[in-house]
Amino acid sequence: MFGAFRPTNPLSGGLLWKIPWRLSKFQKARQRKRLRAVDSLVATLDTALTKKNITTKAVERWKEEMPIEQEMVPKDKYTIFDRKEKKYRKSMRKLPKWTRVSQRVNPPGY
Amino acid sequence: MSYFRITLTRSGIGMPKRTQGVLKALGLRHRMATVFYPVTPEVAGQIMRVKELVSVQEVDKALTKSEVRAERRPDPGFYLESATPRSDEAVQDRGRGNDEIWKYGGFNMVRDGTGKGPMSQWSL
Repeated sequence: MFGAFRPTNPLSGGLLWKIPWRLSKFQKARQRKRLRAVDSLVATLDTALTKKNITTKAVERWKEEMPIEQEMVPKDKYTIFDRKEKKYRKSMRKLPKWTRVSQRVNPPGY
Repeated sequence: MSYFRITLTRSGIGMPKRTQGVLKALGLRHRMATVFYPVTPEVAGQIMRVKELVSVQEVDKALTKSEVRAERRPDPGFYLESATPRSDEAVQDRGRGNDEIWKYGGFNMVRDGTGKGPMSQWSL
């Protein structure tokens, strides 16, 4: 009944993962906070470099290609494209190291 | 001359070797380690490689390691007073009814009228 080897559903052989598909509202809030942190960092770099009349390819390319947090749709903030998934979307947390990598754009139309 | 103040807020553990190498090149070995680099395109490119892991400020002056440490030290909550030498004039003044100066334990206390507490209006 109790103890480390009690016969729970995950332990009785079957493949049963109980990881919620959606992020909780707190996880979503932290995700937005992380996105905004990267936005402000890029803005800091940009202002510091423009003061010295320097342009950097990495910063310019990021500004051109990546939407800021406020411009992103919720679908892109919390889910990621996956061609094998039903409806082509899976939760953002399925992305390895998802709290420490940038994942902002998805294939157009999906 | 302006500098980037770069602080490692998220660990680079488990990140690709290239990312960890950038952190090593910037001298960020531990979380909350702070380094200063001049504003150059090279440093900006390095920061962009690790932008999810660090926080960056633009500052005018590069601080030394000990100055960064002193910044983090909390306020001790007290300060040490230094005694002024005892003078005889103060005693004579008090004898003539001048209450603005009085002697207390070897200190000459002078009323300044700016204090808020009962004793703080007396200063050395």
